Amino acid sequence: MTGEPTLRLQDVDRDEALLEAVAELHGDTRADFLRTAVIGSGVLLAALAAPPAASAAVSDTQILTFGLRFERLQASFYTEADRVGTVGKMDPRKQRWAEVLGEHERAHVRIIKKILGRKAGKRPFFDFHGVTESEDSFTRTTVAMEDLTVALLAGVTPRVHDRRLTAALFGLLTTEARHAAWARNIVNSTPAVRSFDEPRSLSDVSRTVAHTHFIAAAPKMTRKRRKPGFTG
Amino acid sequence: MTRATTRGQALRAAAAGGAAVGVAAWLRPQPSAGKESAAQDVKIFNFLLVLELAQAAFYDAALRGGALQGDLLTYARVVAPQEHDHVRFIREKLGAQAGPPPKLDFRQATSDPKRFSAAAIDLEEATAAAYIGQGANLTRDAVGDAARIVAVEARHAAWIRDLAGEDPAPRAADPPRTADDVLAELRQKGYLR
Repeated sequence: MTGEPTLRLQDVDRDEALLEAVAELHGDTRADFLRTAVIGSGVLLAALAAPPAASAAVSDTQILTFGLRFERLQASFYTEADRVGTVGKMDPRKQRWAEVLGEHERAHVRIIKKILGRKAGKRPFFDFHGVTESEDSFTRTTVAMEDLTVALLAGVTPRVHDRRLTAALFGLLTTEARHAAWARNIVNSTPAVRSFDEPRSLSDVSRTVAHTHFIAAAPKMTRKRRKPGFTG
Repeated sequence: MTRATTRGQALRAAAAGGAAVGVAAWLRPQPSAGKESAAQDVKIFNFLLVLELAQAAFYDAALRGGALQGDLLTYARVVAPQEHDHVRFIREKLGAQAGPPPKLDFRQATSDPKRFSAAAIDLEEATAAAYIGQGANLTRDAVGDAARIVAVEARHAAWIRDLAGEDPAPRAADPPRTADDVLAELRQKGYLR
């Protein structure tokens, strides 16, 4: 995608419901800062910035493209936590949980990549700002991320056009819901809080992901290693 | 358990799950019952209502029976009202087209904690797989309703599996099951008369 316009987050920020989730992750000041931060955008974000009537026409490819971006984010998150040794230091029950979730998210990346084929695009660079480096921040972020995935899939599943994809997304939705419940049980939080999981729109979730700044504009260089760590 | 064993087991289990979801299988769901329609929604939701009624009755019986304690009791207390909410929601959707309640029997299944856990896993897994199997046959709005409910059923399944010492998320993508298959299991286990 070339010549893409630069959007400010507030341009796609129609309501502030998700700032609460962001505040949980990073605190109010960061959320305030991000609201006016300038973010790069592509066709998808341009579509998201369109009025709701137009966003109803989001294509299956756009949904899958965002899904891939999100699954890559998750896969990299677990891989990174393992690589920096956080997973290895956890007790066996938690270790198993983190390993299985990581492997599932990597499988989801492979599946969506195959479906999208050449439309899959390049993997973005991720920077988790040290969140993967302590068990506490890793597990808490995981709970938030898995719950967010459930909400995303509950939101996009009714919006896809290809019925084969609808069927497939149901099988992913339940897996992500299992992850969320498992993660919650791991941190002694009720695994099923409500009778119905509330859906979130693609633009909502996109905004939350942007708020975390986990998707970086450029590879992160560190003193320890000269190339960015990534997977997927 | 040593760390190596745990990680090895986790990776083997995860790899098996990953292998089971080749792209072809992932994109080949249950044969659709036909083009989606309001009439088909009624049939599907009546089937799902049977499963929700079964779950609600099961947890009610378990809570009445008094065989549960600790984490299992907490689980049943949280989940029971959620299943009742699902029943209410589907009944409201169906209105006068809601079918008669099925004949159910959970006396055996709730007689001790072990039986309870096993039956809860059966019911939650069967229900989640049934929604996955029917999801794509529903009209668009109904797909949204089913998605909001099935996510909660999957949470229940993972929760009770974790409490029972079973893998909460055994596969990278959950497979669908047909209505016939699910109903046959509930009959065979004596839950549905």
